[in-house]
Amino acid sequence: MRFRQLNLALEKDDTNRFLPWLIAFMVLLAALSIAGMLMLHQISGVFEHGIQDTMTVQIPAGENIEADEKNVSEALEALKKVDGVLSSNRISAGEISRLLKPWLGETAGSDGLPLPQIIDVEVDRSSNLTAEKLNDFLSPLIPGATVDDHSVWLTSLVDTLHSTELIALSVVFLITLATIGTVVFTTRTGMGIHRQTIEVLHFVGAQDEFIARQFATRAFIVGLQGGIVGILLAAPILYLFDYILRNLEEGLLPRASLDISIWISVGVIVPAVALIAMMTARSTVLKTLKKMV
Amino acid sequence: MAEVVRFENVGLRYGLGPEVLQDITFGLEAGSFHFLIGPSGAGKSSLLRLMYLAHLPTRGLISLFGRDVSTLPHEQLPKIRRRIGVMFQDFRLLPHLTAFDNVALPLRVAGVRESEIRRHVEELLTWVALENHMDVRPPTMSGGQQQRVAIARAVIARPKILYADEPTGNVDDRIAARLMHLFEELNKLGTTVIIATHNEAMVRELGRPILKLNAGRLEIIPSNGTSLESSPDAEEAV
Repeated sequence: MRFRQLNLALEKDDTNRFLPWLIAFMVLLAALSIAGMLMLHQISGVFEHGIQDTMTVQIPAGENIEADEKNVSEALEALKKVDGVLSSNRISAGEISRLLKPWLGETAGSDGLPLPQIIDVEVDRSSNLTAEKLNDFLSPLIPGATVDDHSVWLTSLVDTLHSTELIALSVVFLITLATIGTVVFTTRTGMGIHRQTIEVLHFVGAQDEFIARQFATRAFIVGLQGGIVGILLAAPILYLFDYILRNLEEGLLPRASLDISIWISVGVIVPAVALIAMMTARSTVLKTLKKMV
Repeated sequence: MAEVVRFENVGLRYGLGPEVLQDITFGLEAGSFHFLIGPSGAGKSSLLRLMYLAHLPTRGLISLFGRDVSTLPHEQLPKIRRRIGVMFQDFRLLPHLTAFDNVALPLRVAGVRESEIRRHVEELLTWVALENHMDVRPPTMSGGQQQRVAIARAVIARPKILYADEPTGNVDDRIAARLMHLFEELNKLGTTVIIATHNEAMVRELGRPILKLNAGRLEIIPSNGTSLESSPDAEEAV
């Protein structure tokens, strides 16, 4: 195959020695940013679900178990009659203890610490049912019952998470710009090094596309090499992060993990960076050659 | 015969420096053969660079194959260049390619089939006595060998115009005579040939019309039976 003999011997350039490492570093940062962004998205999704559909009815602990049971049954019955309530489920004492354990420790499930009864209420937001209305309805029936609409505090939390996602996305964008800038600079340097060869190719009638293709092919290979190294560097860090998240005490944060979709998204960075490098090199060469006679 | 090269009041300066070529006006008919002579620094290489489209003139008009190069779209320049063969004074061989691949370059960029390339390149390299150096890279070749590779690369695609800058400068008399014979053969087949040289004996012997440059101005010295136009300054000299 004679194709190799047409090339500009770009692989021997000094510029190509450090470029894969620069790209690897960019890909490492991009992989961490994208994985972090997608995990934040998972968490904010869980919170958004809370904002959209649920309210919580809290009934203070009664004098004894029978009183608690009576209050909860009355509340559940009453909730069935409210327009806009789609369903209501009692949270079991065991579940409440489990959720409170991270904050209260082993005492969360002990008899010495009376816990309130909790009812999870799924609501239809289009019905204009508000926490105040539900509270006004339940208070006369079950003294001390309060309704908590999570949307008040969850909205600001979700906003914060979305802002963080945007910051991560901006970081990915900046990394992309930096990668493009690096490839432009390296390609121009390469063109300077090979100026005489490019001139000769021009004089023998080579189309600009013919010359650009050689730089683009080289940039694609370098992008692929750098991308693979970057992902190999990122993988153990992401594994460690995933391990920590999986072993977090339940209840502190909604469950988030590096699922297959996140790994695929991170894996896509490799061909993406190779393609970006290829297209950047090609357009840089074509623009530069157009300025030549 | 139609003109393949036309210069009208062409001037060239590099940056803000003085004009290295002034009011150059001439035309070359298809199939003509000219020598370009003049002392060092007279502007021979600059004139050649204008002719093979390495530079655009600072002023004036240049047309190649009947087309004004200043209005030629960038994308069409390669097509024009494929009809021009250039042998550079400093050879400009690609050091990482073998002699074979250097010579094959114009055919490869034109998309010629590999079997054809091999046949033509081997034939031509044999003709310039380099059949045993096909796989040798330029840095390990002598000056004369590199020069022959450069000539072979310039003529391999049977160009319509051939520019050669000092093509016999580094070769012995036998090879020089052979190369000149090659240029004459190409010329007989219709290639317009312009040879820049300091070799006065060769110029006298072949008796071809001469483009003589002196301090950036052109003088045209026709040979018998050759009709040439000239710049206003040159007309006085002819």
